[in-house]
Amino acid sequence: MLDFLQAVSDGVLFGATYALIGIGFTLVFGVMHKINMAYAAASIGGAYAGLLVLKVMAAAPPALVFLGAFAAGGLLGWMVYLTCFHFIPLSSPLATLMSTVGMLLLIDEVIVHVTQGMPQSYPAMFDDVMLRAGEFTLRGDLLLVFGVAVVCMAALMLLLYRTRLGLATRAVSQQPVAARLCGIRLEQVNATTFVVTGLLGGIAGALIGASVGTLSPLLTTPLTVKGLIVTVIGGLGSIPGAIVAGLLVGGFENVFQLYRGVTERDLYVMLLLFVFLVFRPGGIFAAKSGGD
Amino acid sequence: MDFYFGLVQIIGVHTLLGLSAYIVLLTGQVSLAQAGFFAVGAYAAGMLTVLAGWHLVPALGASAVCGAGVACAVGFPALRVKGLMLVIATLAFGEGVRLFFFNFDYQIAKGEIKVGPLGGEGFRQIRFFPENGWTTGEVMVFIWSIVAAAMALLWWFDRSRYGSVLRAVGEDELAAQSVGINLTAVKVSAMTVGGAIAGVGGGLYAHYTTHIEHASFNILLATFAIAYPIVGGLRNVFGTVLAVIFVQGFLIEGLRFLGDWRNLLFGALIVLAMNLRPSGFLGARRRA
Amino acid sequence: MKKLAFAIALAFAAGGAMAQDKTIKISGFGAKTGPVRMFGVNSEAALLAAAEVINKAGGVKLADGSKAKMVVDFYDDRCNAEEGISVIRRIAGGDALVAIGPTCSNVAEPLFGILQKKAGDASDSGLQFPVFTDVAIKVGLAKISEWAFRNVPNEITMYSSVFYWLHTTRPELKTVYGGVEEDFAHSRASWHIVMKDRATANNFNVVGESKWLLADTNFATQVREMKKANADIIAISAHPFSLCGALKEMARQGVKPKVLVGLTSSSSLETLQGCAKQAQGIIIPTSFAPVTKDGKFAAQSTAKFKGAADLHSMAAWENMFILKDVMEAAKITGKDVQGDRRRIRDGLAMLKTTQGLMGVTKRTDDREADKPYLFVQAKGNEWVVLHNPL
Repeated sequence: MLDFLQAVSDGVLFGATYALIGIGFTLVFGVMHKINMAYAAASIGGAYAGLLVLKVMAAAPPALVFLGAFAAGGLLGWMVYLTCFHFIPLSSPLATLMSTVGMLLLIDEVIVHVTQGMPQSYPAMFDDVMLRAGEFTLRGDLLLVFGVAVVCMAALMLLLYRTRLGLATRAVSQQPVAARLCGIRLEQVNATTFVVTGLLGGIAGALIGASVGTLSPLLTTPLTVKGLIVTVIGGLGSIPGAIVAGLLVGGFENVFQLYRGVTERDLYVMLLLFVFLVFRPGGIFAAKSGGD
Repeated sequence: MDFYFGLVQIIGVHTLLGLSAYIVLLTGQVSLAQAGFFAVGAYAAGMLTVLAGWHLVPALGASAVCGAGVACAVGFPALRVKGLMLVIATLAFGEGVRLFFFNFDYQIAKGEIKVGPLGGEGFRQIRFFPENGWTTGEVMVFIWSIVAAAMALLWWFDRSRYGSVLRAVGEDELAAQSVGINLTAVKVSAMTVGGAIAGVGGGLYAHYTTHIEHASFNILLATFAIAYPIVGGLRNVFGTVLAVIFVQGFLIEGLRFLGDWRNLLFGALIVLAMNLRPSGFLGARRRA
Repeated sequence: MKKLAFAIALAFAAGGAMAQDKTIKISGFGAKTGPVRMFGVNSEAALLAAAEVINKAGGVKLADGSKAKMVVDFYDDRCNAEEGISVIRRIAGGDALVAIGPTCSNVAEPLFGILQKKAGDASDSGLQFPVFTDVAIKVGLAKISEWAFRNVPNEITMYSSVFYWLHTTRPELKTVYGGVEEDFAHSRASWHIVMKDRATANNFNVVGESKWLLADTNFATQVREMKKANADIIAISAHPFSLCGALKEMARQGVKPKVLVGLTSSSSLETLQGCAKQAQGIIIPTSFAPVTKDGKFAAQSTAKFKGAADLHSMAAWENMFILKDVMEAAKITGKDVQGDRRRIRDGLAMLKTTQGLMGVTKRTDDREADKPYLFVQAKGNEWVVLHNPL
């Protein structure tokens, strides 16, 4: 019984990292209705760029590295917007999909070339903090990640529902033509939202790097898949959904691993996704549909 | 010459992969599951020629049937999801197939060694071609006769009512339904045909690489599968062939002289291609 | 008169230089993309460095007594089976006499599969081209084809030696627990077929194993299992990324075995780059450390071409010198390309021993190598020699 509880708590805690990357994914897919396959790669790329801070100042505190990742993430987000969404007409979603795939490959290659493919140790905060209750342990640094996820959620909700940019974003996502007629500058809104999700992605990448302890180009694909799964289970466009789904996927994943071993684990995660698709296609928190 | 024959072989098998995604894409469904049907065909054909001693041609027929069967089974639940959700669902399915083969053991003893798929180890020694003395040129001709047949089939579909029905569903489902088109039949049949083509492609893949494992059928392959019809355009099958030649012939082999830059340019050139020609090389003609 | 003498001398010199224009091509290939990029870069550097040394000493002597310079080119196969096959066909279609590579075992297996199984079998239309592998290390691949040869360490011998040494020098150690990357051919085989078996054979009690995947990020459950087992030795058969993940989790949960044993391929810069602090003290058997005069020279030469010297790249270096000797002994013509390839294959097959950077390497009947080895340990920011069992 203790094994089970421990497995669940280990999994749920690690799910905080999925929640963090899921928030960005759900924003991009759900609010902006854009398929951005390069999102996880850009987030990891931002994390790598954060390491450049250490090149300049060898004893920089982790917070500074995270800040570097934050900024780099925003820059990468803007670049993805420019190369994949600015010039390609909205009526070609396939072209934007393929374009983001190209960016994913490009970002991955750049990372490999600069680091020669070698894993890079990532600075962490509280990574040696373990909260103990007898035999039961909880990772302190993952609690920090969860905290950051909640703060991000609050910040994003504020942005979306209390600022003009948020209003414009929601307008553009619901009715792009009408939004234009109201004088909203489509390109500017899109570019800004990409930058905002990019900033978020940079933080997510940095914290994931810190939780895992090492950054490697190997992280990109599994993170993309997890992010997509979390987005679907949580509900496209629902930020609290992404957090809950992230924790859920993390917990289930670990339980599957406990009972069925590591080679079958991911198979069951896929089955979990299919169960949701069949019985609750809108996700846990089905987003309110726009007037359509 | 061997090298060119080999390259043409690769282009052929990848064209089959691309065509399997092409027909599904015509109905408006972006399917990342084609690599999964490809894997099913690969293991099926490999097991039949190695474990059961079948000749390659009936083994490929069985791959087509297996691929079609699995695709048909996927086609029905796929109807319930649209757009992005379908992309994710088919991605998950493809990964599921890969993970299945990661755990799949089926070995029989042949002489003193055991042959057959062995989970993470993979399935080795699928040597039908070299054991039967097929030269690289002969294999190339064989592969391309199958590709030509698949292309002819899809070209004929396009010229017939079926093709118009497919494209009608792809353009506007509601309008198609209102004209009396049975959406289920169209989408599932397209998925089934795609699965059959992918199955045959997979069977050929297993035989020309002689060794397959779960990691050969990963998300990257699934992405390549839809990349070909998207980059190639949906006007007709030749777009997909052009895209395969562009990716395998030009980006992968042709740019070797650039050394390290080749890999960086791979992603960059795809981005550029999509920006310059968003409907693909041979994009579908728009009548509005 | 002086002008004429000068002109004649010049003509002779030019003629001499032209005669010296003979070249022998050896192609290298491997992964220069993805997490394994370092391997390709290092192998290429080692090949170029070795060629430079051989050429400075005159080059390869051909059957007709003249000397030819070695020319090396390198192809990237991106660790992809189809591309590896395409690359070897490209190489075979040119005038290269032999290829050194590949990096990835999942490329080596299909690649050896398309080679002719038995040399000279007219009914087998497989490719007739000798491949001399430097890096791909998954156990037992060379027996797939008689045209495939490998110069990679024999993990069975090395780990047998490690556990024997641990058992004799530290008799208080009794139990072993394993950690294994299940989805990567090499590491999987290295635990299940090699380490587990060799530990048991040397009187250790293998109390359990924890599994994970190559790209896994959460090792909490597995490390908890390790903690519960409380074994004296923990042997981790994993590559640097997941090795580091597991080690960091072990540090977090306070799992401190008396001895840590690692996978051969992880005795590289990557592990130290990823988690030097947590990897301190890990013992890994390897077939290269820059301790001999030849080894130091090879490492320095490779560094000039921007490559690092480790057990993988130094195998590439050794391959070049072995091939030079084989080519000279087999009396290659430098003109008859396919004939020379066959001569090289037969010459490699006949070898019983080769000269390696650590000592004499034995060659086995199934075209593999039995290389001298030693144990290294992570100390500070480098790998230091812990014990030389030979």
